[in-house]
Formats: sequence, C-alpha cells, structure tokens
Amino acid sequence: MSAMARSRLTPGLFFGRAALIIYLLIMVLWLTFPVVLVLLASFQGTLEVSFPAPINLDAYKTIPPAYWEAFWFTIRAALLATGIALVVAIPAAWGMVRGKLAGRRAISSLVLIPDVVPQLILGIALLTVFIPLRLSNSFLGVMLALVALSLSTGLRFTEALLEGLPEEYEHAAQSLGANKLTTFRLVVLPLVAPGVAIAALFIFMQNLITFELLFFISGPNATPIAIRLFSDIIDRGVVPYAVAMAGILVYVAIAFYTLVAVALGPKYMAGSVMSRKG
Amino acid sequence: MNMSSNAAQPVHIDRVRKVFGEFVAVREMSLNIEAGEFVTFLGPSGCGKSTTLKMLSGLLPQDSGEIRFGSKRIDMLPPNKRNIGLVFQNYALFPHMSVAENIAFGLRMRGWSRADKERRVEELLQLVRLEGLGSRKPEQLSGGQQQRVAVARALAFNPDLVLLDEPLSNLDAKLREQVRLDLRDIQRKANQTTIFVTHDQVEALVMSDRIVLMNKGGIEQVGTPFDLYATPATEFAARFVGANNLLAAALDLTSGQALARLGTGGVLPLSTRASGLDKTGMDIWYCLRPEHVAIRPASEGTEGLYAARVLDKIYQGTTVLVDLDVYDLGSIRAERPALEVGDLPVGADVRVQIERSHAVARPSK
Repeated sequence: MSAMARSRLTPGLFFGRAALIIYLLIMVLWLTFPVVLVLLASFQGTLEVSFPAPINLDAYKTIPPAYWEAFWFTIRAALLATGIALVVAIPAAWGMVRGKLAGRRAISSLVLIPDVVPQLILGIALLTVFIPLRLSNSFLGVMLALVALSLSTGLRFTEALLEGLPEEYEHAAQSLGANKLTTFRLVVLPLVAPGVAIAALFIFMQNLITFELLFFISGPNATPIAIRLFSDIIDRGVVPYAVAMAGILVYVAIAFYTLVAVALGPKYMAGSVMSRKG
Repeated sequence: MNMSSNAAQPVHIDRVRKVFGEFVAVREMSLNIEAGEFVTFLGPSGCGKSTTLKMLSGLLPQDSGEIRFGSKRIDMLPPNKRNIGLVFQNYALFPHMSVAENIAFGLRMRGWSRADKERRVEELLQLVRLEGLGSRKPEQLSGGQQQRVAVARALAFNPDLVLLDEPLSNLDAKLREQVRLDLRDIQRKANQTTIFVTHDQVEALVMSDRIVLMNKGGIEQVGTPFDLYATPATEFAARFVGANNLLAAALDLTSGQALARLGTGGVLPLSTRASGLDKTGMDIWYCLRPEHVAIRPASEGTEGLYAARVLDKIYQGTTVLVDLDVYDLGSIRAERPALEVGDLPVGADVRVQIERSHAVARPSK
C-alpha cells in the first residue's frame, strides 16, 4: 500500500483514483441518505425537510406514552432474544463445527430457513402455533418469534467464527490437561468473544426493527415499536412524533455500535466478524 | 539444575497402526524410547511422522497397537489425561493470556496453589531465558521468544513426554540455528523424554540422541545421527540424509574384500555396507558423499586415483560443489573447501581420490 502511495501519480492513475472516490462517495450517500433525512425531519417536525429551517426538539417532546411503552417493550424483547439466541447458538455451533457431526451441512442449511423464507409467512406459521398456546399478543410470543430469527443469524455467525478459529488452541488446552468444557470456557469463548459481540450487535439491530414477522403475532398487549409506527402512520399520516421516534431508533443503533466498537477497539470493527488469530 | 520433580519416563510404542480409508498412514510401528532421550522423527511430508505424534498425544485414535509410559498404558486416555507436553508448529499460545498465564495453564488444570504456580513459572521463564517477560502478551514477543514460551508451557507441569511438532519451521534461518541449540540445551537441563518431529535433516542431525527415519508410514532406520549419516541402511536413507552420489553397481565379495562393480566398468572398494548385503552379485547403490571425494592435481599419478574432468563449480561460501566427469565412473559431485579449489578452472583435468564409500541395497524396479 505504501509502495503504491509512493509511486508516481500518472494521469491514468489519478482519474482512476478519482473515479473510485466518487463511486464510493455516491455509495455512502445512497446508504446514509434515508437516515440523514429522518434525523433532519425529526428536528423539524415534518418530512418536508427544508433549508434553512428552525431546528427544535418539539417533535421529541410530543412522543406519546404509548410510543415509549412500545419502545421499551421492543428493547426488552430484542435484548432478551439476542441473549438467548447466542447462549443457544455458541455451544450448538461448537458442536457442529468441532464435533464433525454427520449431516452438519444439512443442519447448517436448515437453520437458514428463517432467513430465506419471507418473514410474513413465518409470522403466519407462528400465529397458527401461538394461538392455541395463547402466546400471540404477548411479550413471550414476540420474544420467542425474535429468538427463532436471531438463532438463524446467530448460528451462521458463530459457525463462521469457530471455523475461523484454529483448532490448535483447543488441542493445546487439552494437551495441557483441560477437559472439553474447560477448554470451551477458558479458551474458545474468550477467543470468539469479539466476534460474538459483533454478532450480538447485528442480531439486536435486526430484532429492533423486525416488522413482518411480528405483524400477526403482536396485538394491543404486545406492540413492538415498528408496528406501532406503522399503524399510526397508516391511520394519521406522518406525524412529527413518529419521525422523532424513528430518530430515536437511529440513536439506539448508533449507541450500540459505538458501545461494541469501544469495547473491542477499531481492530475488530472494520466489517470483520472473524475471531482474532494468535 | 533439576527442573523435573518426577523421573523421566521411557516410552514404548508397540505395533501402532493408522489407516485413513485406503491410505496407510502408519504401518505397524514399534519403538522404544529411553527415559530422558531426545528422539527425532525425520521424514518427508506424508511419511506418517505427524500422524504418529497425534496418536501419541491422543488427538487422533490409533487403529491398533499400544502406547505405554513406563508400565502405564496411555493409549486409551483422552489427551487431557495423558500428561504430555505438546509444542505446536504455530506455538498455539493463547492470545488472550499473558506469557505467565500461558505457562501456568497446565499447572492451573492440575490445581496447583498460586504460590507454587508463581514459583514454577519463574523457574521456567529462567530456563527459557525470558525473565521479566511474564506479563507480556504473546503477540508482543518475537517468533523465537514465542517459541520458547510454547516450550516452557509444555515443560511446566512435568509431563511424562514432550512432543515437538516442527517447532522451528516458522523461524527464519539464522534464528533457527540458535533456537535449535537452545532447545537441545533446555531439553538436557529438564531431562525430559522428548520426541521432535521434523522434515529437516540438519535439525535432526544437530539435536537428536537418536533419529527415527520414516518413509511411507514405516520406519526406514533408527540410529544415532552418526549412524544415519555414515551408514544409511536403505536407499531412502542414503538419499534423504545428507547429499550422496548414488551409482548403480553389483556387489562382489569374491576377493575377500567388498567391491562394487559399476555398469560403466569401474571397480571400486567399499568402506562399509548396509546389513544384509552378503552375496556376490547383489544389486547395490554405491554411495559416495561429496565430501569424501578428494581432488588432486593431474600431475599426480594414477595409483589409487581416478582421472576426471571438471564440468562445473558451484560456489557456496565455505565450500564449493565441483561436478566432475570421472572416467569409468560417470558424473560425480564433490564438495571441497573453497580455499582448496578456488582457482581450479572448469574443464581442467584432475585426479579424484575416494576417501570413503558405502553400499545400500538397490531394489529392482
């Protein structure tokens, strides 16, 4: 890289570099545009963002209690589902990767189903199961639905993490006298922890905004924030406090990302989900 | 300095065998290793040396056969119950633990007290000359230092056997020479029965009490480095350990002295021959080490000497490889001190004297 920087900048190289930078800028703009728009709108109380325009917190102040209820409901369900999914997924992935289970490929593919089947269909399927169990329109029901989705993502992440972890660390621990459980606890878990934290981040974000899956199972007693926003916007149009709540969800996302980034340091955050190497 | 609280154990490998599908990784292998001995498994990749090491450590179950430490049979035990210190090619130091924590890991598994652990870790840091580096993380150490931490970790809990799996292959050439001697020194001080696996014959020759030369899942020869170099038992041994000129010949014992009759017509005396070469007419390889080919000026007579012409010279620093066309024998490579043949021109006529030779069986194709 440094050798490249030192090499002479020919016109071809210059235009190539410039084109690449413009290309990347357009991409970043495309990706961040909706977020920036929502944030601007939340400070102006309307989706018709204008420059210059008064910036104020009025929209935030008018968020109704039902919104906050739905917000905290979602945070609780999303956190719990993420935790449960990872606690289940890590040992399962370890068994699948290291146990050299027969039919492992088939299992790996099967757990992808929640990710490839449209969520709306999964939601309907869950509804038919949840109604007789009285789980629809309940916190537990919403949380379990999220666990199903999180497990799929969680297993995929942790499987990749463990595949990337050289087995020699485990062999070394065993040769030094550690049994399988101790090896897992003292060696495997700490080594994949950074990757698991990133997995948790992604799964939590996914849970925070899951909509289709929860559309049929939610109800007046169990309303995730995404569904609350949807029904309000359908009923009343884009009200200022709905935009403000969307802004809050963006802050939550940024806060979690920052938390994980600070905890892990920049080394792990450049899109990397792999474990650290020795 | 006696680093070991329990006596070193002899190791008995008894008809151990491993097959992967159709591929015989290790044929029935038997070997006795003395307590405190440094034995090297030497061979090309795929010869079964690493498979044997894995079976010893318990990371791979053998298909049949037994492994015993002293009188204790260990091949039914899982790796964590075998009391074997393992040093990996990539060291496999735990990156999330300090050097001291790495070294103490085996002690922690054995429930040592904090004070005992600390004392032992200090002892080992001293043994591998890394005093004061206990609180560092492995990534803060150089390759050679990491390698020594791996050795310390494997020695810390007084294992019955230490296994080293090509631990020098990740070091650069200069460092490797140094660490080679270090390792040998540490092993002697710790008096620990040790098996070292390598494909590098120089490492094997420098470090071992005995070398087990392996090929295609079996043992070709077991012997001291000197035995292996001076009197290889098989064609494979003659080719793999050190450089050798191999000339096809037939054995002739009729004169009472062992002679090699070459296809080119030359007849040469043999200094030594592999066991089993006891009948006139047997197909042999006449083995001639390059350093046993002396070059004399053409002005000397032909008494005991062979006329030759210099084909090429390859300068290597301390020595020069001289490719010779020797009449009656064919092309032969000599290795001489650089000062001795420095001004010898290519194309020159010279005389060649053979100082020492050896014969191994030549299997018919």
